[in-house]
Amino acid sequence: MSQLALMIDLERCFGCKSCEAACKQEHRLGPGEYRNKVVWLGDFEGEGLDFLTLTCQHCERPACLRACPVNPKAIDRNPATGVVRVLEDRCTGCGECVIACPYSAMGYDPSGHHAVKCDLCPDRRSAGLDPACASICPGHAISFGEREELLACARGDERSVRDHDHFLLKPQTIYLERINGNSRGNGSAVSPTEFERRPAFVDAPKAHQVFAEKGAAFPYGKVKEEVKADRVEPAGCNICFNCCSAKFHFKGNELVQITGNDEDPVLKGKLCPKAQMTLQMYHNEHRLTRPMKRVGKRGEGRFEPIGWDQALDEIAEKLKGVRDKWGAEALALFIGTRTGLITKNGYVRLFQQMWGTPNIEGTDPFCATGKSVAYDLVQGIVGSGNSYTPEDMGSAEMYLYIGDNQAETRPVYFGMINDWRIKNRAKMAVVDPRYTVTASKADRWLPIRPGTDMALGLAMAHHILSSGLHDRAFCESWVVGWERWRDFIFERGYSPEWAAPLTGIPAGDIRSLAEDVARADGCVIFGSRGLNQHTNSAQTNRVLMYLAAITGNWGRKGGTYFNMTAGPPIAPDAPPERRPKMERPRVRRSPAGWVEAMRRGEPYPIKALISCNNPLAQWPGLEEVREAFRDLDFMVHIELFPNETSAFADYVLPAAGGIEKGEIGRTNDDRRIVWIEKLIDPPGEAKPDGWIWIELGRRLGFGDVLKEKYKDSRVFWDEVCIDNDHLRGVTQRRLHANPYRWVRFPVASEDAPEQETLYLEGTTAVGQPAGKRFPTPSGKLEFWTGEMEEKFETLGLSALPEFYSEREQLVDMPYVELDHGDAAMGVISPFHKSGPTGASRCRIVAPDGEGPGAALRARGFDTELITGRPPAPHFHSWTHYFWQAQEMWPDQYCQIHPDRAGALGIRDGEKVRVETAHGGIEAVAWVNAGIRPTAVFIPIGWGEKQPYHPWRPVNFLTDKNQRDPVSDQTNLKSLLCRVTRA
Amino acid sequence: MRRPDIDDRLLARLIFAAAVFLTTYFAFLPNLPLEWRSPGSPRLYLIGTAGSALLLVSVIFLLAKRTGRGGSPSAWFAAHVVTAMAGAVLVSVHSAGRLRYAPALLLLALLGLVALGVWARIRLSRRISATFATKHGSFAPVAGENRERLQAVIREKETLLERLDPGAREGTFSLTLVHWLRRPAASRAYARLVREEHRLLGTRGTVSVAQAYWRRVHIALSVFFVLGLIGHVAVVTFWAGYVSGGEEIYWWHITAW
Repeated sequence: MSQLALMIDLERCFGCKSCEAACKQEHRLGPGEYRNKVVWLGDFEGEGLDFLTLTCQHCERPACLRACPVNPKAIDRNPATGVVRVLEDRCTGCGECVIACPYSAMGYDPSGHHAVKCDLCPDRRSAGLDPACASICPGHAISFGEREELLACARGDERSVRDHDHFLLKPQTIYLERINGNSRGNGSAVSPTEFERRPAFVDAPKAHQVFAEKGAAFPYGKVKEEVKADRVEPAGCNICFNCCSAKFHFKGNELVQITGNDEDPVLKGKLCPKAQMTLQMYHNEHRLTRPMKRVGKRGEGRFEPIGWDQALDEIAEKLKGVRDKWGAEALALFIGTRTGLITKNGYVRLFQQMWGTPNIEGTDPFCATGKSVAYDLVQGIVGSGNSYTPEDMGSAEMYLYIGDNQAETRPVYFGMINDWRIKNRAKMAVVDPRYTVTASKADRWLPIRPGTDMALGLAMAHHILSSGLHDRAFCESWVVGWERWRDFIFERGYSPEWAAPLTGIPAGDIRSLAEDVARADGCVIFGSRGLNQHTNSAQTNRVLMYLAAITGNWGRKGGTYFNMTAGPPIAPDAPPERRPKMERPRVRRSPAGWVEAMRRGEPYPIKALISCNNPLAQWPGLEEVREAFRDLDFMVHIELFPNETSAFADYVLPAAGGIEKGEIGRTNDDRRIVWIEKLIDPPGEAKPDGWIWIELGRRLGFGDVLKEKYKDSRVFWDEVCIDNDHLRGVTQRRLHANPYRWVRFPVASEDAPEQETLYLEGTTAVGQPAGKRFPTPSGKLEFWTGEMEEKFETLGLSALPEFYSEREQLVDMPYVELDHGDAAMGVISPFHKSGPTGASRCRIVAPDGEGPGAALRARGFDTELITGRPPAPHFHSWTHYFWQAQEMWPDQYCQIHPDRAGALGIRDGEKVRVETAHGGIEAVAWVNAGIRPTAVFIPIGWGEKQPYHPWRPVNFLTDKNQRDPVSDQTNLKSLLCRVTRA
Repeated sequence: MRRPDIDDRLLARLIFAAAVFLTTYFAFLPNLPLEWRSPGSPRLYLIGTAGSALLLVSVIFLLAKRTGRGGSPSAWFAAHVVTAMAGAVLVSVHSAGRLRYAPALLLLALLGLVALGVWARIRLSRRISATFATKHGSFAPVAGENRERLQAVIREKETLLERLDPGAREGTFSLTLVHWLRRPAASRAYARLVREEHRLLGTRGTVSVAQAYWRRVHIALSVFFVLGLIGHVAVVTFWAGYVSGGEEIYWWHITAW
């Protein structure tokens, strides 16, 4: 046999750390124990961000082996395969091998006191599988095989192999160099280099101390025989919007491992780190396991355990009391995606209809309502019709990311895109205030000023239309109102020169980007929270949709506007005669707009809240939100882990999640509905959300609709959730008919074929008359119509998107002023389909040098604050209860440019205080040049009640009142702040 | 199968118990009968002998580890920890708190050995594990550095190895006790080349001083202790007169020079 080796492609690795998670699972490694590790590297000079998957080099002259003082050695090298391994039963734990390895690739188990190292997973190899890291890597960055064959592949792909044999040890692990000119936004040299530095806070020993004391939860730290799986079940992951299929490995009834599903034809067994680390959710000492009743003051967090019957009986009685005193609409329901779509759009929707409150919402108004409204207006339905397949998204000649850090938010999908980029030599550009992980793989990074993406889109369209680069045939055949829009942007002078000072991007770069998009035979324009979380959210999304449409990137393979996600239309209704008439409209679309109703009873009182999420870390303007929650008469919190919100609740109910209950994945990018089978029981007395809502409903007299049999989510799915043309074919039988447990909708019947790409020319949209390609009133994409204009006029805006940005900016630019505060009912929004909803009229205010931004700047708020998702191992608050996610990224950090940090005397790893006009928090500085020099970035997800590294959450800095008049989306991406050393 | 190991908690409990025992013992020592206050009394003599015997288990561990005889090195390591600790307690009792005499240096060395060993196991282990992935600079592309000296050392080692151990491969070879016994000169020459190679690699300098040298200090202290112990036994056995300083020789001895 020839030498075996790993081949690690630095062009494909994007630092998600999935390989680390896989390795720790496979070998049950505890805190501080590594066989591989992904190192993030950056430098102070440029905006470089590089990733190094560091693992054993399986040297021909292994220094570790020669340093071992045991005889015979506790380390050996197989002469046939070249695999160097530790013989743990012979190792005395002296650590000499750790010192001797110049690659620092020798691990050490600090609790078991012995060396550990990569042995290329012999158990997996003997079963014909690749090592765990190689099989799971979302980036397709790790290959495994015979070394000569791997080298031949590299040569075939014209890739350079790195010579890193400084020590003449003959390392066998292969590293492929980054592709020249594609490693940095500024096109500088390839890396990693010895001059790059790791973020200080990631490696801070103090941050890791907590794990050393706590130890690892089952099955980490166990010996192989104790946790060797005897059964594997397919299901899915419920933790994010990538909605991956997965395999769950059991020993008896104990879940012992989670891997990707290699039988999945799309994802091919790839899985991100947090999906794997849900193993730490299913075995977690911090889970809520019993219903609890508050015995201390609200917010104090003192509870006593009670039984389910007592809890539900008392809750039902108290809810009735609220209804009798304040009316049904005084109950608000905040149902996050944590609960699962079946719960949110099924059980709770029925409960809400039977109860009779309009005040129900999920997390959408903090994340995505802007794009949803925009899709509805332009295309007639939410979501792109394209799919992550080689023939569709994989065939694009260009990928343009605007405000979408896909590499960290949906790593498995990004791995596919990046793989296609490399294979097809496609272009990739990233527009983002930060040099994100996604940007680190792009040909070009354009560091835009936050909140000005609309200006960029308008200027690109101006250049394309004025240069005749648009797809005239598509526009004339399939777009209503495009000439009117063209004339509008010409008349307003939205040229690249106009946009340059607003966006901070030179006019030449805007032109060149526009030309690249227009000339590519297929360009996928990705947008996400970076666009959505602004007060111009809906209009910005519309502009970028127009950009995609005029370049012909709509209704074709390899070309689309892709702002995640495309949620399945689950919308069951209770019988009309069982639904009480709702007397009043919903206070506001955004739950942030409910705060006045909670605090002051205006426009009408909200006195009770059932929350299935963590609003007290998640809602903007937390100082006021907490006051509002104190003012509630009654509150119930349904969750997996105790958090800030639990502390304010009257009753805390322990919920089940993922494979504990039977569920579908969250809303997914490309219409795959993944069935997550119930495979284990929830911990303690925890119950599935559906069970809780049915039991509560029964006590309130809703048992005829929320039927007992629907506690089985499979029955509920088939009988209640899929009764429409999009979902009718996604039956339990069909979901279970394949080994990967997903079906791509729409499928109108069980035998209807899945559609890879929707809205292709010559096709008819689902549920539309023949020939109607798009589900809009006209059957075409709609830029402007008279009906649309009327809707916008209701709010004081034009249907033709006029540029405005945020009120808190470092340079003056137009911003939007709302005429009605949340205490007033205002007008009924024409943009929300789910029922009458209060909204505010508005006006766009021209800059005059004395606006709110100028006033804040005069008070010393001189820095742009951007908030957003942390790296891939984290997702909101759940992952902060997983020891390994915290080991990877322990502390809340503030990314700050070295120039700004230097001026403020802040060093990497130091604690900083960040203040806005709305509040203040602390974080650890990450000094890194991958951000606009005028901006700082702080991630979401950390909270004060978390067990390992509690921090005051970033939403103390945000403002609940800065919202998009069209979609009610909150601005979370552009606020002015000041930073000081803490 | 689970590898034999003494976990941190058990080790901490052992050391705590030993400390409590010795503190209590020495606190009550002035009130104990004379035979407990005289290191050479039959009782303390036996205790000292037993303690020394227990400490010699560490030597057996060393031999087992270096020769491949005697079973699992990790099991011997665990035995070494437990017996060394017990031995240290007994030797401390044997000292009867007489700290103004030369043998107290041995006691000091012994306490140093125990403290260093326990610290290395409980505290340094985490630092050792944190070494993983700290030398990322080693993965930078080789940029014309001079590898010739290293190559020359390797060639010299290969040549020497043909004499020292003809069947061995340089890349996976290290000296053992057998080599030192059979070919001391060649072994010494080879060891010099190994040191030269280490110097060129510079790996010991890439970790903290404590991590790099704790084990060497531990070995040096143990050598000092073993030699001192032998000396102590020889002196009290053969130079009992010198030790007594003209007083009564109340311990077992052979000559009273």
